[in-house]
Amino acid sequence: MSSDEPVLEVGEFYQLLTAHLESSFGRRRPHWVRGEIAKVYEKGHVYVDLVDAGSASSDTKRPVLNAHCWATPWAPLKRRLADEGISLKVGMVVSFYGYVDVYAPQGKIGFSITEIDVEGLLGDVARRRQELIARLRAEGLLERNKRTVLAPVPLRVGLVASPGTEGYQDFTGQLLNSRFSFEVVLVKTLVQGEAAPAQIVGALQALDAADVDVICVVRGGGSKGDLACFDDERVARAIAASSTPVFTGIGHTGDESVADLVAHTRAITPTKLGEEIVELVAQWYDLNVQRPAQRVLDAATDVLDEATFYLAERRRTVVFAVRDRLRAEERHLLGTRERLVIQGRHLVESATRMLASNRQLLAAYDPTRRLAQGWSIVTDAKGVIVKSLEDVSVGDEVRVLVSDGSFTSNVTQTKGTAT
Amino acid sequence: MSEVTDWNEASGELNAIVASFDEGEVSVDDLFVKLERATTIIEALEARLALTKAKVEELTPRIAKVAESE
Repeated sequence: MSSDEPVLEVGEFYQLLTAHLESSFGRRRPHWVRGEIAKVYEKGHVYVDLVDAGSASSDTKRPVLNAHCWATPWAPLKRRLADEGISLKVGMVVSFYGYVDVYAPQGKIGFSITEIDVEGLLGDVARRRQELIARLRAEGLLERNKRTVLAPVPLRVGLVASPGTEGYQDFTGQLLNSRFSFEVVLVKTLVQGEAAPAQIVGALQALDAADVDVICVVRGGGSKGDLACFDDERVARAIAASSTPVFTGIGHTGDESVADLVAHTRAITPTKLGEEIVELVAQWYDLNVQRPAQRVLDAATDVLDEATFYLAERRRTVVFAVRDRLRAEERHLLGTRERLVIQGRHLVESATRMLASNRQLLAAYDPTRRLAQGWSIVTDAKGVIVKSLEDVSVGDEVRVLVSDGSFTSNVTQTKGTAT
Repeated sequence: MSEVTDWNEASGELNAIVASFDEGEVSVDDLFVKLERATTIIEALEARLALTKAKVEELTPRIAKVAESE
């Protein structure tokens, strides 16, 4: 040991080391360090072993950076990552911003993280998401569930949701407040977190076997992290494999998960999904129940109106026809009667004239006129006019009628004209 | 004279009576007989129509409830 070289105590050494490191790598000289997470452990603080990306874990000489992030800076970073659906996992390539710190009591030199390249991580997540979508498309899975045939009246609804959540309430509220009797078959699942995808897959498979008309996957709004389970490949494949149409109502407007892309139908919110299901039934009801009912009403009204009009018209026709017929008969009778009166009058006048003529003729033959001229009329005892000698015999008593009376005479002799 | 049982049959008979009136085929002796028959048919059909209307009016609110439900 050279006498002119100072000998430092351990504490002094660490102070010197710390001073040197801090001058180049300390709090005031932070650096970005990029690497692959080899280990991660969190308990209030988070501890991460970072290695060169792609280095083999069997390489015992690969450099390792023991990074940590104390609870105070970690809490907002964790929240921010969670909002984007990111959690630190082994294998993830990440860039940390921080500084070297020396923990003398354990003789450790570490890296204290103050910032994480979230944008970079997001880019990685987005890239992996696009890769998943590309795989699903290449396998034809984006369209498979869309090709399933939806029941005309989807009243039996399978529901994948977490009861009590806002999304669950919003969705079921639409069904309950509708005028239709939906039957909801619920399979409870977590709708966020690492355990959620497996539960959602199980629920989808159970409902697919339960003979429901449609399966609805419902989850209210949340951060990207909350909704990350709906970007899970297992969930996407389970939806694609379902023989029952799967409808999704996940998150808020603008959120679009891989589950949405794979689903038969996607609504922008649970409420909208409920509305769409109700509308599907309402459309069927309108087409198959309401409109036929209205047609029945209209037809009944038409038939009754037509029958009412028909009877009124027939009644008028019968009345007028009979009245016309009777009037025609009356006119005919009246004409006949007038003709008869005229003809009768003519007959009477003709008869009167004939009688007058006859009367004049008869007057010429009036016996009194003859008696007045000196002629007399002889009758037998019976009052029969004696016209021939054969009517009397000698000795008969006859009565002789003259103009001013009569007298009796006896037949004493008969004498023919020729003699 | 037969009872009025079937609407179409009765209206056919009524139409035939009206047609015979229109064609002047009815004698005065037949006029009353046909008028009486036509009146019987019309009254029977009106009674049936009134009964049908009553039934329809009874059913209409029930069908309307379906047709107009929201």
